[in-house]
Amino acid sequence: MANYREAPLASRPKTLDPAEYFNLSLDKRRSVEEKATLRAQLKRQYQMQLNNPLRKELIEDPALTRWVYARTNPFNNFRPTKKTSLLGGLFGVLPLFVLYFVLKTDRVCTSKARLAKYRHTSSWV
Amino acid sequence: MLKILIPTFMLFPTIWLVPGKWLWTATTAHSLVVASASLSWFKWCSETGWVAPNLYLALDPLSFPLAVLACWLVPLMIIASQNHVAHEPLTRQRTYISLLVSLQVFLILAFSAMDILTFYVMFEATLIPTLIIITRWGSQTERLSAGTYFMFYTLLGSLPLLVALLYLLNDTGTLSMHTLQYIQMTNPDTLGTMLWWVACLLAFLVKMPLYGVHLWLPKAHVEAPVAGSMVLAAVLLKLGGYGMMRMMVVLGPLTKEMAYPFIILALWGIIMTGSICLRQTDLKSLIAYSSVSHMGLVASGILIQTPWGFTGAIILMVAHGLASSALFCLANTSYERTHSRTMLLTRGLQMILPLMAAWWFLANLANLALPPLPNLMGELMIIVSVFNWSSWTILLTGLGTLITASYSLHLFLTTQRGPTPQHFISMDPSHTREHLLMALHLIPLLLLVLKPELMWGWCF
Repeated sequence: MANYREAPLASRPKTLDPAEYFNLSLDKRRSVEEKATLRAQLKRQYQMQLNNPLRKELIEDPALTRWVYARTNPFNNFRPTKKTSLLGGLFGVLPLFVLYFVLKTDRVCTSKARLAKYRHTSSWV
Repeated sequence: MLKILIPTFMLFPTIWLVPGKWLWTATTAHSLVVASASLSWFKWCSETGWVAPNLYLALDPLSFPLAVLACWLVPLMIIASQNHVAHEPLTRQRTYISLLVSLQVFLILAFSAMDILTFYVMFEATLIPTLIIITRWGSQTERLSAGTYFMFYTLLGSLPLLVALLYLLNDTGTLSMHTLQYIQMTNPDTLGTMLWWVACLLAFLVKMPLYGVHLWLPKAHVEAPVAGSMVLAAVLLKLGGYGMMRMMVVLGPLTKEMAYPFIILALWGIIMTGSICLRQTDLKSLIAYSSVSHMGLVASGILIQTPWGFTGAIILMVAHGLASSALFCLANTSYERTHSRTMLLTRGLQMILPLMAAWWFLANLANLALPPLPNLMGELMIIVSVFNWSSWTILLTGLGTLITASYSLHLFLTTQRGPTPQHFISMDPSHTREHLLMALHLIPLLLLVLKPELMWGWCF
């Protein structure tokens, strides 16, 4: 791959720089070349779609599709760990009990106070 | 009543017999005439509690605002769906509009039903056209799971309701709302009666939806086409609230003790779903969760059984119906142009579509309950009545109002302001049809500011 040519949108990866090229093992060289080829092909595909004058729709980004799918289906990727259980309990279960306790006590107290007030006032009639 | 029902039934021949060129014009015009005729229900000319044309159908101040909303929404749904259904074969277009009209029929019959079993049958019947609309005309593959969630959550609640209603029929001998207001609950302390109480309300709580059983709503709203989302948000959720208000009459003194868990779920749900809204990336999902938040407020207003609570609930139901439906229409205008519901991809639209930005602004202001809109009237009445019920709830409802304001602002700023994405090549300008749609949503909301007595229920 010593005759790897740079293109406007395909820069030379560092490992294919001729100054460092001969320090690499054969396997590493081959893997870097393969990655550079794939990268160039993807770029070419994107550029073809981007500059197509007859295109009217969005260019589909598979990473975005996966991300949106993951955002809409959280349960598939959910695993009950210590942190998620703690968060779920703290924000989903505990407030219900705390609120029940607070509201019930407040209601019972205010109704007792109202009854006591009526009893007090009626004794002066 | 019949002057609305018979033209509504006659919409079916209109849909199926009109030549294809005139289908959308004719159905829109016909349904607009029916909607305008339904406005005659606002004239309350009865000395009794009900305006009753016959033994089986009657309207009272609770049901006629919702019935008018149901009638008003059908022309709006037809106008909104015109674009995305127009490319399909003619028979399929006719089927689609027939499903929307059948929803209107079931809804009018549900809101005017005098017998609770009739109401139940109509309540269930509305599920079927909605399911067909979601699963057949939705755009993503997730619509199948959305339909499943929708059906099974609602059925989970409503089958116990059927059992409870049949038990009540057996016990009382009638399910007519005229007579049910006078019955006494026989054994309020037994476990059986408590289970019966839960069974009566569970269907409506799932439909509202209450926070714990709300999972069907974001799925159904997101996957439905625009007309499905509109009718779901505007009217079908209100069926739950309306059903709860009707059932409260028979649920007697037991409600004072048993309603606590549900009020707590509703109040906590306002905050939780509001917070979820702030983290949403999908536009329609955000609007769906905001619906859950508002309906949590309505549910808590109904469950405390005070006059102001009920009044606030009705006002908020009507106002939220119009505002939420408007937001779904706006989301659809964005979706039809960019084919993406991700908020990051549909930013900065004010630069491209400035007039639509004005409608976005108004709809978001309505959603965050800006005075003097009826959304605020409803929210204030509910917040005040719940505060009277227990002072500590002001923390929850106040925080909920704050979160509502912040996610509405987030929605507006993300979709309208900010940098416009570079990848848009061709974007249609705003159609007049879309402006008309938004106007028809928001003008009634603005008119209701001037005469809120129309939807106050019994307490004016």
